[in-house]
Amino acid sequence: MAENHADASLERAHVIVDPPDGKIPYRPEARAIQKQNFANRATADPETRCFQPGVPRAVYVASPFQIFQNDHGVYIVYQDVHAYRIIYLDRSKHNEALGYAMGDSRGHWEGNALVADVTSFSDTTWLDAAGNYHSDKLHVTERYTRSSPDTLTYEATIEDPMVFTRPWKIRMPLRLQKGVQILEDECEEGENGRRHHIPLFKQTP
Amino acid sequence: MRLSLFLISLAAFGQSPRFEPPRQADGHPDLQGVWRNSAIVAAFDVEGQGAFYNEPGGKSVIVDPADGKLPYLPAALKQANDNHVHRERDPTGHCHTHGVPRLLVPPFPIEIVEDSHDVVLLSETEHSLRIIPLDGRPHLKNYRSWNGDSRGRWEGDTLVVDVNGFNGRTWLDQSGNIVDENEHVVERYTMTAPDTIIYEARVDDPTVYSLPWTLHIPLRRQPPGTELIEYDCVEGERSEIHYPGTPKK
Repeated sequence: MAENHADASLERAHVIVDPPDGKIPYRPEARAIQKQNFANRATADPETRCFQPGVPRAVYVASPFQIFQNDHGVYIVYQDVHAYRIIYLDRSKHNEALGYAMGDSRGHWEGNALVADVTSFSDTTWLDAAGNYHSDKLHVTERYTRSSPDTLTYEATIEDPMVFTRPWKIRMPLRLQKGVQILEDECEEGENGRRHHIPLFKQTP
Repeated sequence: MRLSLFLISLAAFGQSPRFEPPRQADGHPDLQGVWRNSAIVAAFDVEGQGAFYNEPGGKSVIVDPADGKLPYLPAALKQANDNHVHRERDPTGHCHTHGVPRLLVPPFPIEIVEDSHDVVLLSETEHSLRIIPLDGRPHLKNYRSWNGDSRGRWEGDTLVVDVNGFNGRTWLDQSGNIVDENEHVVERYTMTAPDTIIYEARVDDPTVYSLPWTLHIPLRRQPPGTELIEYDCVEGERSEIHYPGTPKK
């Protein structure tokens, strides 16, 4: 189980390791859209509307996730809006271009690193809460490496020729959260049309 | 004749007390794989129904009481009947997660992932999920959720799961049958053949029912290579369904 808090802005969080300047290599017209997203983020962020967080954002939203694995796949259960992913390890082919919020993941082991190839995205998720975004041509290559007993080193190479001029890469440590139970995170539309996450604990008298 | 003999021998195999399930390294049965309820009528009405437009018929999946009827208290029966007329209220029609035992019931695949610490149920529909810890930790206090708080243990080769902590907002089926936040479920998962898990849920809810009752459905293993597909439903969409109101009970 691990969590991290890099979600506010990938650029400010210093998790971008390539390019060396730590800036997302936007195409000019795409940078303009990101700026507009940033200005409207209080309502435009898909997270505020109960959408699944997408990849790689699910890894660094401010709630934990839990990893299960068997010979068939690696199963990641995110607390955030009860999203989950199955990273198949059986060398099967991607389900192509069906437009999934969480993408279609196929993985394999490279030594001690789990490498996941993720495609078939929708364009309905963002990369963080600062309006950084992608198109449905997004392609993510993730590497999960257990670098110490309590640390997973997470790396993701992000490609999207519609939005970025070149592939770019993030890296961050994910810390093991001992004794944490993943709780239910259900989201619904309120009376005013705004969506909210439903409280889980009854007030004690 | 040959076919019927084959079916009889299959049935005998399925019911054999000597069925030896595949096992995990720790010796417990290995329930992993992709499964689906094969008593689909239960998704529409756990008490059974005749077949009609777009909905299959079938017998009640309630095995106790013996008459297959939910033992409603009068006020709760009135609420269930009102729900049946207003099936547009079905929480799953508004993208909400199913609750228990309904999570096992829809005609959508469910993947079971299991190790010695947890059993995980991943449902395709509504991307519902449950994590069932097996380590004997106590239930959460004052927890109120759609899918409840699950604690599992092995009794011989049967996985037994105690579930409480419900918010009372879930239905049992599309017909409007209900539980409330006093619901308490004891589930039993038993592999009885290589491709069959018998799922039983004992539901106790003293503010809705006069007696505990038991639901029984067979889960059937899905063909090799079956994959869960992402289910695209954003919770809270009010306009998702529109059932015509028809009186029933």
